[in-house]
Amino acid sequence: MTVEEQIREIVARITHVDKGIITRESTFKDIKADSLDIVQALVAVEETFEIEIPDEEAQKFKNFGDFVSYVEDRVAQEGKV
Amino acid sequence: MSFEGKVALVTGGGRGIGQAIALKLASQGADIIINFFRHRESAEKTAKDIEALGVKAETIRANVGDPAKIDEMFDMIGNKFGRLDILINNAASGVGRPVMDVDVKAWEWTMDINARACLLCAQKAAKLMEGRGGKIVSISSLGSPFVLPNYSIVGISKAALEALTRYLAIELAPRGICVNAVAASAVETEALKFYFKEGLVKDNRQVTPAGRMVIPEDVANVVAFLCSEEAFMIRGQTIIVDGGTSVGPFTLVSKES
Repeated sequence: MTVEEQIREIVARITHVDKGIITRESTFKDIKADSLDIVQALVAVEETFEIEIPDEEAQKFKNFGDFVSYVEDRVAQEGKV
Repeated sequence: MSFEGKVALVTGGGRGIGQAIALKLASQGADIIINFFRHRESAEKTAKDIEALGVKAETIRANVGDPAKIDEMFDMIGNKFGRLDILINNAASGVGRPVMDVDVKAWEWTMDINARACLLCAQKAAKLMEGRGGKIVSISSLGSPFVLPNYSIVGISKAALEALTRYLAIELAPRGICVNAVAASAVETEALKFYFKEGLVKDNRQVTPAGRMVIPEDVANVVAFLCSEEAFMIRGQTIIVDGGTSVGPFTLVSKES
């Protein structure tokens, strides 16, 4: 499973939405994710990929695609895949 | 008041009230372990500021809402320091909602971090204090005794923390461990900016009898006192630091009106 697919599954599980509706353009608002959903998604992704996502970086994510791109970059940098 | 030779763990010690407590205890000679979760940069900066005071500082990343991470944190403290003299349960989180909108997820998240973590950290800390005594101080808020708008679950978690403080104070007294809590009204921190933005807290500068908002150092001073031998006979109490706001609720009108 790709990084994007794994993150999509995590976000869908936490927000209780069908993963099919989460596209790279989806905002957290689009999928009705509240601040707790976002924090829980960040924590779950951090644990899955063994990375840290500082709040300052997370606040820059405008949509799901930004989130995925950030994690892909971090995973590549740290040679996790 | 000196904490020379003491080892203190401050959960959520990288920012705001926790940071002020960490710096205050360090200024009195304690070596400090700063637990952080989402804000590494500020934790590492605080550690540098503490080292500049001539004492040791360590940072440990751990989500205190996760029991396994608490275990790992205390294993590390045990291995590295072999003891603990002071535990400050300061880390907190929460979801700002009216009580009727609190769901299981919000309840568990908030209670796990604000209440359960205090229990688990105290249990682990008491073992590292065995035979030497120690001090445990937890940070509460006025949302426990009073109703604040959209603060329900956080206030409830703080009520649990205060009750836990009383039980721990009695049950750990025979082991020479003093347990207390400090409850502050709205404190000028980064977290408060969020609460202002969300409309959860109103600017109370105009209505605080002491004439200004509570700052983190106000809380840190009281925490440090409770960690000192001078406070030996204070047990299981929650000391309120609010500039007089809670004792005069009917005087809470703007000075301009």
